[in-house]
Amino acid sequence: MLRRRLVPYFLLGPGTIWLVLFFLVPMYFMAELALRSGTVLTGFQFSWEWSNFSDALSENNEQVVRSFYYSGVATLVALLIAYPLAYAIALRAGRWRVLLLFAVIAPFFTTYLIRTIAWKTILYDSGPIVDAFQFLQLIPDDGRLLATQWAVIAGLTYNFLPFMILPIYASIERLDLRMIEAAKDLYASSRQAFLKVTLPLTAPGIVAGVLLTFIPAFGDYVNPLVLGGTNQSMIGNRIQVLYLNEGNYPEAAALSFLMMALILALVVVYIRFAGTEAFMGEEVEET
Amino acid sequence: MTDARTGRTRTLAIALAALVAALVIAACGDSDTVGGGSDEDVQTAKGGKASGSVTISNWPGYIDPGKNGTVNEFEEKTGISLEYIEDVNDNNQFFGKMKPLLDQGQSGGRSMFVVTDWMAKQMHDLGYLQDIDYADVPTVEKNISDIARESVADPGRKFTIPWQSGLTGLWVDTKKAPGIRSINDLFDPKYKGKVTFLLEMRDTVPMVMMADGVDPETASKQDWLDAIDKINKATDSGQVRRWTGNEYTEDLTAGNAVASIGWSGDASLIGNPNAEWRKPTEGCTIFTDSMVIPVGAPNSPAALEWADFAYQPEVAADLAAYITYFTPVDGAKEVLQKSDPASANNPLIFPSEKFLEGCVAQPEPPGGPEDVQEVTDAFADATTG
Amino acid sequence: MIAWLRRNGLMVYAGLAVAYMLIPIVVIAVFSFGETPKDKLNFTLGGGFTLEYWQHAFKIEELNDSFRTSIKLATFSTLISTAVGTLMAIALVRYQFRGRRLSNLLIVLPMATPEIVLGAALLSMFVNLSVFDLGFQTLLIAHVMFSISFVVVVVRSRLIGFDRRIEEAAADLGATPVQTFRYVTMPLVAPGILAAALLAFALSIDDFVISNFNSGGTVTFPLYVYGVALRGIPVQVNVLATMLFLLTVAAIGLVLWQQRRAERLAAVAAEEKVVPGPVPAAPTPLGG
Repeated sequence: MLRRRLVPYFLLGPGTIWLVLFFLVPMYFMAELALRSGTVLTGFQFSWEWSNFSDALSENNEQVVRSFYYSGVATLVALLIAYPLAYAIALRAGRWRVLLLFAVIAPFFTTYLIRTIAWKTILYDSGPIVDAFQFLQLIPDDGRLLATQWAVIAGLTYNFLPFMILPIYASIERLDLRMIEAAKDLYASSRQAFLKVTLPLTAPGIVAGVLLTFIPAFGDYVNPLVLGGTNQSMIGNRIQVLYLNEGNYPEAAALSFLMMALILALVVVYIRFAGTEAFMGEEVEET
Repeated sequence: MTDARTGRTRTLAIALAALVAALVIAACGDSDTVGGGSDEDVQTAKGGKASGSVTISNWPGYIDPGKNGTVNEFEEKTGISLEYIEDVNDNNQFFGKMKPLLDQGQSGGRSMFVVTDWMAKQMHDLGYLQDIDYADVPTVEKNISDIARESVADPGRKFTIPWQSGLTGLWVDTKKAPGIRSINDLFDPKYKGKVTFLLEMRDTVPMVMMADGVDPETASKQDWLDAIDKINKATDSGQVRRWTGNEYTEDLTAGNAVASIGWSGDASLIGNPNAEWRKPTEGCTIFTDSMVIPVGAPNSPAALEWADFAYQPEVAADLAAYITYFTPVDGAKEVLQKSDPASANNPLIFPSEKFLEGCVAQPEPPGGPEDVQEVTDAFADATTG
Repeated sequence: MIAWLRRNGLMVYAGLAVAYMLIPIVVIAVFSFGETPKDKLNFTLGGGFTLEYWQHAFKIEELNDSFRTSIKLATFSTLISTAVGTLMAIALVRYQFRGRRLSNLLIVLPMATPEIVLGAALLSMFVNLSVFDLGFQTLLIAHVMFSISFVVVVVRSRLIGFDRRIEEAAADLGATPVQTFRYVTMPLVAPGILAAALLAFALSIDDFVISNFNSGGTVTFPLYVYGVALRGIPVQVNVLATMLFLLTVAAIGLVLWQQRRAERLAAVAAEEKVVPGPVPAAPTPLGG
């Protein structure tokens, strides 16, 4: 009897220990680092330096706002692109389904960096895409796509699209189609059926997708680095510069914590607002 | 619903409490200093008979590769097995990566690496490097050129052996921007969004100062900060398209930039036939990348043997012809006159004194560590829009 | 025409969207066939078509080493994180115990933390403790750490949709718990575990940010690309990336083909058997 009660702890054990040791403990060290002061050359002393946090925020508020803006737009666009695609794959694709799904994940296997550099190759100033945009007057004749915010946002959208597609797909795939049939039997139009049945039932997938896209996008620094110019840096770039170029470890750590706190706050608000427990995995089967 | 909410709140409360407790314990416990270098005495690298295997880190593109390359030649001649890693891409990034190791007196298996002189000085000040006795490297002592022997960062060359030197100047697309001859031309609104600057502070800021008539070698901290201010404005306005390390070559190749502050030896990386390196009218900076031996080097005799090997004129000639930067080794030019006259007469590989007129070695910002940090921070802030 | 579009519009859109997703891959592959003067990418295709980079795909030692390192790292990371994560998922889905909520939080947190924070934090710890050498060890630790959460989420979603009555049926028919697990549970959960493993593998091979902070002297494939990106990317990088892509296509294709076969066999078997309760939903490849 006792053994049965202990089973879950044994199962959880290895993973929990790993996460505690290599996630929580580092977080503690980073918190400790955020409260130190000094320079690389003179060393860092622990001194309850709360000003690191306020400095981090005040010196980098431009990047904070910009990160919100870029990742917000990218997430929205990704959602708009992903939902119809996921819908098509789940419900309309038939025998092409597996192939399409695979095509969605395939980009994953070519290394994040190379994908982004490929976009740099495609969007370069004298290239065909820029020429086409100039021809269509979408950008001025001496305009460019790289080193602008649009390139960065496009890069973010592209790179995190699979994270948006897969949860939504999973959610749609699990739909009990009989619900939609029932709605139609009750004289709902296709549009009404979609808005009032499909959409709400696939909400958990949307919530998961939005979170899985927004969060990494918010902290990304590769896209601004490769596709952006001087005025497109995001929080991630600042943290990297603070850490590696300036050697200002305390402020880098403080900024990282601020970023985490912002994200957690957003997540809590969002989940509360979207009102679903499914993402946190609260549901358990009846045994 | 209430259950879930209180449950979650309780969870977060526990987590926060744990974190605060841990921090309090840390504060009451050791208040040791993280970083700041070691206080131990600086050792001198061991020389002597070399054997075994050795690992060396260098910048990419600083060695002629392949079967006939210098590494293979070295291994055959000496019997030492050399692992040559090209993982130094940027001084600051390499420093950031190595610092945790060097603080503990370790070098991650490396017996030698190559960094720019100013970074070597910074590392030496932190106690991360061993001294080098030139008696252990007789070929270096014999063949090192007079120019290379002088150094602002390491007077008398106590802990560095130069690997290659180069000039920082202007790379210009002569078809699209033929008129660019001075750093100040880069600030011309005509080229807005089409120019790139170097992230290397000790190249960019002195050159901006020189263009405004300030002598970098005697400049005050305020002069540096003023130049950084000018740079900041250009960055914010979008005049500068990007701040780059080596990747300005990409932008020139792809036509994204018409002019860049860049390094003289990068011709082979720029796929744009119209691109040409120009010395700015007001002068240029000279940088030197040097070999250093870190603390905890497992096999410093072998590393010193490598340095010695690279200073033989024939070897240096091969390197110079491939790398296209200028070599600190006397005698290399003569070797090339016979086998590769084009390289021998290339002013970027063997610049004459006249060519170097007005060029200064990379200066350091004046003042103590806090002043240098202030300038560094200001520059870093200016370069990230 | 309009009617056709009305009916198939969604699929046309899907096709376009998917094409958009594959554009960079096509570009990467195309540029691997382009001749360049110094054998480094120069963003134009002016040089003409050549197979030389494919013929000499393994010429650059550092590139090969970094590739091997990445594959090795990803394999180990996948094995460990999939095993550990699956166990955790089972515990979370099938058992009620104290600390469930806390465990849930612990698993979700790494996913909510941007990579740069994870990387920097890990580095702070390794620097302070100096128990582990910065290098392969620390990379493995880091990769397993961020993969566990994803594995748990994927396997868990698969387990939740799992009809327990099949297991009960097996028990009714005299199977021991171990047999039930081996012959009933595992095969049906396997696709989810496989999907999780694939995800973990992809995350590891792809990882750049965390590896950048914690690699010491070890060079993984993304780190190598980052390094050479500053001084000219050898065309072989594109060749290897394309190869990796094609290999994964083949691997996934194989897995799915096996899957299809298993499904077909199960469907045939199900038709012939009498099962209490409704027929279970056919397993889908991605834990849906």
